Amino acid sequence: MFSIPVLIVLIPALALAATLATAALGPRVLRGRSHLPVVVAILLAFLASIGLMIQVDRECSDRASYERIATLWTWAVVPGDHQAGRTLFRAGTGGGVDGKPLEPGMKRTAGAFAEARPSPDFRVEVALRADPLSSVMLVTVTFVALLVAVYSVGYMHGDPGYWRFFTYIGLFVFSMTMLVSASNFLLLYVFWEAVGLCSYLLIGFWYQKPEAAAAGKKAFLVNRVGDFGFALGVFLIWTTYGSLDFHDTAGGLGVLGEQRCLSGAFAGGAVATAICLLLLLGACGKSAQLPLHVWLPDAMEGPTPVSALIHAATMVTAGVYMVARCAPLFAVSTQAQEVVAVVGGLTALVGAVIAASQVDLKRILAYSTISQLGYMFLGLGAGAAAGNTAGLFHLVTHAFFKGLLFLGAGSVMHGMGGVIDIRRLGGLRRRMPITCWTFLIGCLALAGLFPLAGFWSKDAILAAVHQRAGEAGHAAPYATLYWLGLVTAGVTAFYALRAFFLVFCGPEQVPPEAGSHAHESPRSMTVPLAILAGATVVAGAWLEISGSLARFLASTPSLAVLGSGGHGAPSGGHLAVAAWSTAAAMAGIALAWLMYVRSPQIRRHVVAAMDAVGLYRLSAEKFFVDQIYQMLIVWPLEGVARLAAWLDRRVIDGLVDLMGWAPRGLGALLRTVQAGFLPLYALVMLLGLLLLLGTLLVS
Amino acid sequence: MAPLLLATIFLPAVGAILAAASGQRARQSALVTSLFVLAMSAVLVVGFPGGAEPFAVLDLPWFGAAGGPVDIRFSLGLDGLSLWLFALSALLTVVAVLVSWEAITEGAGTFYALLLLLETGMLGVFAARDVILFFIFFEFTLVPLFFLIGFWGSEDRRRAAIKFFLFTMAGSVLTFLGLIAIVLWDSGHGGGRATFSIAELTRRLAERPMDRPTQLAVFLGLFAGFAIKVPLAPLHTWLPLAHVQAPTAGSVLLAGVLLKVGSYGFVRFALPMTPDAVVLFMPWLLGICVAGIVYGALVALAQQDIKRLIAYSSVSHLGFCMLGVFALNRLGIEGGVLQMVNHGLATGGLFAVVGMIYERFHTRQIDDLGGLARQFPRLAAFMVILSLSSIGLPGLNGFVGEFLLLLGMFQRAWADGAAGQAASYRVISVLAVSGVVLGAWYMLQMVQRVFFGPLRTPGHHLREGPAEPPADLSLRESFALGLLVVFIFWIGLQPRFFLDRMSPTLAKILAPASQAYARQHAAAVGANHRAPWPDLQAGARGPVRGVDASGPFGPPCADRSEPPMRGFQASPSSPISPPVAARRGSMHVR
Repeated sequence: MFSIPVLIVLIPALALAATLATAALGPRVLRGRSHLPVVVAILLAFLASIGLMIQVDRECSDRASYERIATLWTWAVVPGDHQAGRTLFRAGTGGGVDGKPLEPGMKRTAGAFAEARPSPDFRVEVALRADPLSSVMLVTVTFVALLVAVYSVGYMHGDPGYWRFFTYIGLFVFSMTMLVSASNFLLLYVFWEAVGLCSYLLIGFWYQKPEAAAAGKKAFLVNRVGDFGFALGVFLIWTTYGSLDFHDTAGGLGVLGEQRCLSGAFAGGAVATAICLLLLLGACGKSAQLPLHVWLPDAMEGPTPVSALIHAATMVTAGVYMVARCAPLFAVSTQAQEVVAVVGGLTALVGAVIAASQVDLKRILAYSTISQLGYMFLGLGAGAAAGNTAGLFHLVTHAFFKGLLFLGAGSVMHGMGGVIDIRRLGGLRRRMPITCWTFLIGCLALAGLFPLAGFWSKDAILAAVHQRAGEAGHAAPYATLYWLGLVTAGVTAFYALRAFFLVFCGPEQVPPEAGSHAHESPRSMTVPLAILAGATVVAGAWLEISGSLARFLASTPSLAVLGSGGHGAPSGGHLAVAAWSTAAAMAGIALAWLMYVRSPQIRRHVVAAMDAVGLYRLSAEKFFVDQIYQMLIVWPLEGVARLAAWLDRRVIDGLVDLMGWAPRGLGALLRTVQAGFLPLYALVMLLGLLLLLGTLLVS
Repeated sequence: MAPLLLATIFLPAVGAILAAASGQRARQSALVTSLFVLAMSAVLVVGFPGGAEPFAVLDLPWFGAAGGPVDIRFSLGLDGLSLWLFALSALLTVVAVLVSWEAITEGAGTFYALLLLLETGMLGVFAARDVILFFIFFEFTLVPLFFLIGFWGSEDRRRAAIKFFLFTMAGSVLTFLGLIAIVLWDSGHGGGRATFSIAELTRRLAERPMDRPTQLAVFLGLFAGFAIKVPLAPLHTWLPLAHVQAPTAGSVLLAGVLLKVGSYGFVRFALPMTPDAVVLFMPWLLGICVAGIVYGALVALAQQDIKRLIAYSSVSHLGFCMLGVFALNRLGIEGGVLQMVNHGLATGGLFAVVGMIYERFHTRQIDDLGGLARQFPRLAAFMVILSLSSIGLPGLNGFVGEFLLLLGMFQRAWADGAAGQAASYRVISVLAVSGVVLGAWYMLQMVQRVFFGPLRTPGHHLREGPAEPPADLSLRESFALGLLVVFIFWIGLQPRFFLDRMSPTLAKILAPASQAYARQHAAAVGANHRAPWPDLQAGARGPVRGVDASGPFGPPCADRSEPPMRGFQASPSSPISPPVAARRGSMHVR
């Protein structure tokens, strides 16, 4: 009954049903209980995801790669230009491919008919896939979504848009589960935009706030720039492969199907690099990587559970998922892979440096998310199975600990009357003990401290980069990136603990907005915190030491192609890397402790020193990226737009009017005949027409 | 079905008389008529059997006795190209009647009569199967709209009406000459009676195309009328003026249907009858389209008046439609034609919403409005859906057309053998996609400023207007927009239903043009050939890393002659590890 095809359809269907139910019943019937359908549906979807993963695991244990497709309906069919193809052939000169003479016997398959080759049928089906990669993503998404939904029951309590919030959450879960189980590029693109829409709606949830509405628009537009690249990439994939399917179909090989992966029939050369870079641009938009990261910090205007779910744990990782899904395409192009690694490494560093000077707790976490996503891209860019697995591993652990941190921040906001400026908070550990301790666990995991989840996954990424740096021919960028990664680890530990110390340690400081109810949050909020904290402590070590995640993921068709080498049980090679990264993290923690707990003296000195070299300003002003975009893109484009509008009114329309003047001179002569009554013109026109017909009849 | 088609087309004309006669109850009578027409066209759509042949054909001799030199027939019918545009006209007329319900108080009888006459014209122009009949309906649509704009429009309505009329008239004269020239050429070269039947002309000209100079002259004539109607930049300047000044119903029908008459004309006449000219001008036509896309979007970005903004967005979107059509392949033309329907739904709806805003606040200036979402949640919800449809959000209709036609353009530029124009076609394709980004920018900026943020409504309204504050959408208004939203979702989620019905017809219409393309570019394609579709399909393989075919898009496989997947061995440089390949035998194959 609950076979794989049933489950894969059931998971998004549950979310969709809950969305529709909430939308229909929320405003009138459910009101304060609007969370019920969504929470129940996500719980069931989570259980279904677990069931799916277990079954997939059982199925793929004895196979090199495993995928299972469930086709729902055919979305669109456009037959190819068969006719045009044949004509081309007949008209062609019959030359061989690239001017090579034809060999006898090749004629039909390879020679002249190649140029007569008709364009393939365009056929897109709504097809969902089950394979290890998508089942891991499904479990992660539904798990975090479940906890966030439960948390939101407390957090959003009493909000006038309560039902609307849960409708959007349900819609998001539907879109996200569809995104990770879509089995063709078109469907991927559809839900790629759909999660973007949910993000737009949820960022602008409190749309009366001008900042929220502006942030929603900004997110959508920056993502549109990324999607521009993604769309171009998809179009190029179509023109190169003649298919948009991941899987093989009766009509031919899919782009990422088992057969193609095994036979290695991937296009190479410039087009491969172009496809990868365009897909990467899309991923940069969704996953907030340089240079399209600017929307994510502003997205914090949305409700905090949304920040946790969409802007930390799930949606923003869609870019990572996509690049991992397309790993075989990236494997063909070394240049593209290097670009992925460089983008990831730089984003990780820049994000961490900016996070170190922010004063808004949610924005610190936002920049931290940008930085951690950068790590994931760094891992993916390291190529091979080890890098991809490490990137996905970090995706999973990051979903736990960053979800935890955001929910913790939300808990602080909830208790403090919405205040999130860390300069106005302090010493909250006594008033909010559960929040404090779970937040600490999250911070330490983010810092990458043994044995928490972040340690294992970040270590795996650095190890993969280190290994790649050791290979001949790749040394230069990867060696640099490895050291950048270590520096980033230090900065990460610093900003994570800085935030913790400022909010929870030191003398107690409660803002007046909190009023009399500065207290620990309700049970519905603390329980998800505790569960996520537990996952943060356990998951990393368990997945790493058992090696189960790496082994499982390796059966994904598009990852199987990379071979199964490298990552597995913790190997000795990791130890040096682990030692260095731990040292970096300890240094960061120590600095944060010195500056924010031990001595304000040191703090002033360090800040002054940073200010002297300009780094502080750079960090606090977020590297001036927003201002640069405003000056280089927004203003010029608006200027051009105004110019075009002026041109349209004055010049083009003017020319047209001028043309109207010429007949007017003539018309002055004929004015006696025509009264200027327009219907008369129509009448004359019709009469003339009839006259014309009449002459035709007569002749 | 033929009598039903005839009844559908002329029922509105009868309804017009009724509406004019029924005075106070004109709007009810118009609504009933348009609903009937909608139901009847739904029956026609359901009854369409598919395939490339027209159906519900009504064919009567009209002018010219049997054996005479001319054969003008009263010939009506629907095929895959006209079916959806026909249905769209019926749908949007219902919307137009509903949005005029409260807005039109003076001369309501005449107003609704003209609206219904316009419907007859629109339905007829798509169903006409005879050149003369087509042209009569074509011209017939102008007159009611001229009066609708001229009498019920805003302040500058006179100038708008005259400009609209003269512009379109000037173009259509040339178009008419072009059409007549086709008929005369055909009768001169085929012998026999001068047939005016579109189907017959299409068939004959496909077998025996006109000589190239004639084609060029004829095409330029057709282009003059249709390009103004579409409108393609820079012939668009009548459009913003007409839209801004027209009453809401006029804008809805003008944007929703009447612009499509131009693009329909291109597909119906220019493509199959002057294919060589289309192919010859193709780089220029595509260039004009993409210029319109970007230019329209940029001008829209700078607009303050919501209605002007949407008018310029139409210029941009019609550029998309025509880009798909002129890509001259299946994907492009199906996307382009579907996009005509999509644009009608989305932009028709957007104009309706602007009309509803204007009724409430008596302004269309973006700066006068803000934060309407809080007080007018239904209005805001419809506006957001329609905007998202307009900017091509997946899951809604706009995406389907846009995706298909852009895919077609990419196929033309990269895979179909661009024949010496590859570089410029590629630039055009990429620019066209950038138009999608700009589209999102101007629409969302407007939506954000008008609907979100703190509430702002014009102050003078409160002083002069009625005592009670304006209310959210009434049931009537919700119904009007809801009709459109149903189709917006339907096309978005299951486009196959719509595509399959138009596909065979469009294939037939496209065939002469793609043959002409092959004819004209045979030399170029042969001499500088690159395999259009790399043979990756067949499972041919090459070393994965560092494959560098002759050109960036050349065949990546060294050896194409081997049958797929037989005798597979991992090549040494392949990243697949041998154990994986060896285990292939047990691999799961569905």
